[in-house]
Amino acid sequence: MERSEIEKRVTSVVARVLSIDPAEVASSSNFVFDLGADSMKSIELIAGFEEEFSIEMDEDRARDVQTVDGAVDFITHYV
Amino acid sequence: MADSHGAALARLEPIFSPKSVAVVGATRVPGTVPFDIFQNILKDDFQGTIYPVSPSARAICGVKAYKYVLDIPDPIDLAVIVFPSSVVKLALEQCGQKGVKGLIIISAGFREVGAAGLQREAEIVEIARTYGMSFIGPNCLGVINTDPTVRLNASFARHMPAVGNIGFLSQSGALCTAVLDYAHAKHIGFSKFVSFGNKADLSDIDLMLALKDDPATKVILMYLEEMTQGAAFVEAARRVIHEAGKPVLVLKSGRTQQGASAAASHTGSLAASDEIVDAALKQAGVIRCTTIEEMFNNAIALTYQPLPKGRRVAIITNAGGPGVLTTDAAIHEKLELAQFSDATRDLFKRSLPVTANIKNPVDVIGDARADRYRVAMSAALEDDNVDGALVILTPQSMTDIDTIAHEVCTVAAAHDKPTYTSFMGETDVASGIAILQDHNIPHYLLPETMCRAFARAHDFGTERIRKISAPVQYADVDRAAAHALLDAAIATGRSYLTPSDAMKVLAAYCLPVLKSAIAQTAIDAAKVAVHVGFPVAMKVESDDVVHKFDVGAVVLDVNSAADASAAYDQILANVTAHLPNARIHGVFVQQMAGAGEETILGVKRDPAFGPVVMFGLGGLFVEVFRDVAFRIAPLPVEHVRAMMHEVRAFPMLTGARGRAHRDTAALEECIQRLSQLAVECPQIQELDINPLIIRDQGFGCAVTDARILVKRE
Repeated sequence: MERSEIEKRVTSVVARVLSIDPAEVASSSNFVFDLGADSMKSIELIAGFEEEFSIEMDEDRARDVQTVDGAVDFITHYV
Repeated sequence: MADSHGAALARLEPIFSPKSVAVVGATRVPGTVPFDIFQNILKDDFQGTIYPVSPSARAICGVKAYKYVLDIPDPIDLAVIVFPSSVVKLALEQCGQKGVKGLIIISAGFREVGAAGLQREAEIVEIARTYGMSFIGPNCLGVINTDPTVRLNASFARHMPAVGNIGFLSQSGALCTAVLDYAHAKHIGFSKFVSFGNKADLSDIDLMLALKDDPATKVILMYLEEMTQGAAFVEAARRVIHEAGKPVLVLKSGRTQQGASAAASHTGSLAASDEIVDAALKQAGVIRCTTIEEMFNNAIALTYQPLPKGRRVAIITNAGGPGVLTTDAAIHEKLELAQFSDATRDLFKRSLPVTANIKNPVDVIGDARADRYRVAMSAALEDDNVDGALVILTPQSMTDIDTIAHEVCTVAAAHDKPTYTSFMGETDVASGIAILQDHNIPHYLLPETMCRAFARAHDFGTERIRKISAPVQYADVDRAAAHALLDAAIATGRSYLTPSDAMKVLAAYCLPVLKSAIAQTAIDAAKVAVHVGFPVAMKVESDDVVHKFDVGAVVLDVNSAADASAAYDQILANVTAHLPNARIHGVFVQQMAGAGEETILGVKRDPAFGPVVMFGLGGLFVEVFRDVAFRIAPLPVEHVRAMMHEVRAFPMLTGARGRAHRDTAALEECIQRLSQLAVECPQIQELDINPLIIRDQGFGCAVTDARILVKRE
């Protein structure tokens, strides 16, 4: 899968889970600091990515991912 | 690091008294730390402007929220950081760019969670330094300033405490909430209330020094779990007490024997870390408390009432039994029952019933109403022979508790001597106690705690004005010689100095080592013994023989050259038989010390407090009773004397039960010289002088054996 495609789908998941406009989601956005994800939303994001890409991620490592860019890199290893 | 004079308060100004506060990472979810802190600042009537900063909320509690702190159009003095630890550094970067000067970092997940957290903590310290920001935390409950012109409750405590003169500093956030609840029930107010958490930037020492210069704070209370900067803490506390005249009360937990188990010498094993803390706090004049209750019992006495100028108390009671209990408690605390003047006794005779006891304790009788309390209290407090009043009440059917409480408050306020009270009971006296508490009259459930608090307040008054001289610097010492011996031992990989080298180090500091020399042969031993002077003691010189008596490596009272020669052969034979592989460097021949009392002196270098000096009487007193005293070097003579008198068996040196008066002046000099040696020779890890013989008055002391363990890097 192309990186741009992964990024587009990650942005979509992030916007849906955090109930924000996709235009507010930048590749450098930090889930907590910029987009306001709390600990529960962070778990929902992980679950959302797994569902979107039909993958199962290492949860401990996934929790260390802080930005949209980081999520794209991380998911690239699974798809 | 601790700040210099006045600088600590300046660094804390934006934290204690901000004009504008941003809560960075605030949320709209009640019951969460980010929401509760914002709400506390808002509802407790902060006198400045508050700004919520939230990446997701447009407004919190009806207050417009900003996505980033940089978006706030106005200057920000204080930022309270409530973001998760992973993004705190991002928040700090923006705070720095915004020009924020003070921060309270509430977030947990730093040093306390291990290596990753420690790394995060180092990063935020670096960012704060880059931008010149000071911060409290991380991992803390927050900060409260009750000053009516500020009213800042930047914490997630349940309530804002009342205004008062007590400054409370705590390493534990959870304990803070318990303390606030306790204080609320006792009507106790605070000036500043700070949970300092991991103290990654501003430390407990900085905060203590800030409160030293804070006019709203009269008494400083601290809860500590460790004292990693022990020596600096002691110095700061000493300044608070002696320069500002403010009492410092410390509740220190985390008592441990870990340090003791790792120690190699007598001094090392006796100087457990908590005993060193205890000695250090005592030396600084800090009042150490063992419970929260004891801490506040003392604090209200010190805050609410004038300090007692003496130990003479007048006990005024409406019940005989409690009067006797209070008398016992007072005597136990080394207070004195005041002897009333003739004028006071006459006044009591004229004004009180004939059945009243007009001696001390003054029993105004069970049916006493407020007028009798007024007469008794006023007369007692006006008597020059009285330093303070202890007022007892038990609730009889006719006792007008509330009126008496008001009368006690009125009389107490009219005198510049302290009044403490104990309205004994629970339900019936509750309203009277509340009246006393609301008027800042210290109240105690039990007479015993009342007397203890009076004694501590008096002790503090004495400590505050105690003059401490500079430690003596002896000019006749040969520091270079001591360093050469210690450095040589380290260079050759030795842990312990040889006995003769240990004696030479002590001799370099003019400690009274006995004349001695090493003999290499039996014939040599005879010659050496003649030179040293009979009688002599002889012992093997070997690193490998630690317990010399156990293997027959010591011979005492050798009185002739022939005996010295024979003793040499005997010692070598005994050692060879017991420890065939022991490396023997000869036999140490030493003058006998003569008669005297055996004592022990020692040094242990503590990682937090530096060199600690120990003194005790020898033998059973040390081994069984642990009857020893510690102080942190360098030691002024006043501390040396206090240390000597702290040892319970010390009267054995001063003529107790017909014993000879020993040369305590020489002992005093020995301790001071040892203190100087400990400070000037950091190579020494542990040192024992065991025994130091104290001869009769005028005949000095004698070091008969010493061990020195050097510090290995």
